Amino acid sequence: MKITIKQFALSLYETVDGKSPNQVKAVIKKFVEILAENNQLSKAEKITAEFIKIWNNKHGIVEARAVSAKVLEKPAVKLLKDYIVKLSGAKEVMLSREINKDILGGVVIRYGDRVVDGSLKTQLVDLKDKLIK
Amino acid sequence: MSTTKDFIVEQLKEQIAGFKAEVKHETVGRVIEIGDGIARIEGISEVMMSEMLEFKSAAGSVYGMALNLEEDRVGAIILGDYLGIKEGDEVKCLNRILEVPVGNGVIGRVVNPLGVPLDGKGEIQADKFYPVEKIAPGVITREKVKQPVQTGIKAIDAIIPIGRGQRELIIGDRQIGKSAIAIDAIINQKGQNMKCIYVAIGQKESKVAGIVGKLEQFGALEYTTVVLAGASDPASLLYIAPYAGCAMAEYFLDKGEDVLIVYDDLSKHAVAYREISLLLRRPPGREAYPGDVFYLHSRLLERACKLSQEFGGGSITALPIIETQSGDMSAYIPTNVISITDGQIYLMPELFYQGSRPAVDAGLSVSRVGSDAQIKAMKKVAGKMKLEAAQFRELAAFAQYGSELDKDTMAKLERGKRLQEIFKQGQYSPVPVANQILVFFALINGLADDVPVEKISDFEAGLYKYAASSGAKILKEITEKKELSEKLEAEMKSLINDYKSGLDYLIK
Repeated sequence: MKITIKQFALSLYETVDGKSPNQVKAVIKKFVEILAENNQLSKAEKITAEFIKIWNNKHGIVEARAVSAKVLEKPAVKLLKDYIVKLSGAKEVMLSREINKDILGGVVIRYGDRVVDGSLKTQLVDLKDKLIK
Repeated sequence: MSTTKDFIVEQLKEQIAGFKAEVKHETVGRVIEIGDGIARIEGISEVMMSEMLEFKSAAGSVYGMALNLEEDRVGAIILGDYLGIKEGDEVKCLNRILEVPVGNGVIGRVVNPLGVPLDGKGEIQADKFYPVEKIAPGVITREKVKQPVQTGIKAIDAIIPIGRGQRELIIGDRQIGKSAIAIDAIINQKGQNMKCIYVAIGQKESKVAGIVGKLEQFGALEYTTVVLAGASDPASLLYIAPYAGCAMAEYFLDKGEDVLIVYDDLSKHAVAYREISLLLRRPPGREAYPGDVFYLHSRLLERACKLSQEFGGGSITALPIIETQSGDMSAYIPTNVISITDGQIYLMPELFYQGSRPAVDAGLSVSRVGSDAQIKAMKKVAGKMKLEAAQFRELAAFAQYGSELDKDTMAKLERGKRLQEIFKQGQYSPVPVANQILVFFALINGLADDVPVEKISDFEAGLYKYAASSGAKILKEITEKKELSEKLEAEMKSLINDYKSGLDYLIK
């Protein structure tokens, strides 16, 4: 039976979880050997991506991305992080920031497949739709 | 002038004050594969089965519906133009199952399966939205089918009666009048307290335009909705069309009204579903249809029902149409739908080309509800006719060998010929039930035996005319009492004899 990328990543996670760095080294060496044996080395990148997902999921880490019109100040970033923690129920938030003048104001937060759209642009479009109705 | 300006400013202020800027919490995904009306999407992890999706493409928003929920991706059909959608476009969950507008506003309109008007008569004023997919009413809410649907077609009303809440299949080859029967039935519902829905699936738009024109001409559009998924529409619209039509019918059902719904035709629907299934990589089965093609039609036709009085007493009568390939009734889809429905009207090419139209084959056609769905008067006259028609078919085959026949057989053959002649009927000319009873009464009582076979249609037309002027009271009594008393039968007999005394073509 074909082993899926998800299965590879999950088994890797299960074998390395809670091990010392030396043990991890040995496990990874073995893992790469298995990949080579199965002719799956080309899928290494996808397996890594999946592994990161599983790791984050198990450890309660959320990768989030905040898009804003202006550079966010430190207190604002702190507030945002706390807000995302509250929304997602995660323990830790890894926030990356992006500046986009098109959204005019406010902030758009993306984490996982969720979007919290608090941008001024969207609100103006909604207001326009409502006034037309 | 200033008052209107102030008013506008005031309104604007009020609206803006009332506008609550909400921060929406949405689930989104990305298109990873697109083509042939099918999209594969990653993300949207909490999507529901048959939930509406919004594709945000450069050309604007397009709606879709999630059909395949897989481990790491979602397969969706796109309801509309998919050419503007590109790989990597954002997809948003709308958190509601696919719905269509329903209500009195859809009556008299031509709409697409999403409820968007196609007739240029402006926006649809919908009362409500109903989900396209719904589980059929359960057994405790239902009741026996007992009221008739008068189709106005003599051969059907007499031999294969249809009741309110029944599912009667119309089956036959192409171009032998399947749609014509359904359209005649819709036209005849005028004043019968019925709403009608005609669902055109994969039909040529020119044909549908012709049908809408005819319905308008006969005043049938006042109670009819046409749901159109044309031949050029994507398979996804063809697939949801009958369910959308049924949802519109269910609105009236819930109000306790009677609805007649025509699915024209379900073979094209099955083909559209096969296309979608194969593109979604579901395994093909017999004739390359997917495994759930039976459920596709059974869940649709099961929604036709007659509800008991406690549940409103409404009904949905379904007339699905199936097109066979050169009379092959044992193909996959025809056998499936035959087994789901409560009977079928089989149209025979031989009869059609012989000129007996509608080409209803009395032998292969059945109605499993039977005479429960006839008024008493019709039951009385039609009961004998069914037997005579069956005997005639047997004798006609036998008499072909040209042997000498006894008097009794000859009489039966002559009667049968007249019966066959009476069942001939032009398109768009439904006959009211009282008139049908009158002419059948004349036939089974031997009052038409001295009319030459080729003059039967003249005799029939003349009888209706004569009865309308001199026998209006009798027709009214049949319509109202729905029963034939002995006194009434005697009156009918004398009416027919009076009419015959003025004819010059009778056999002496």
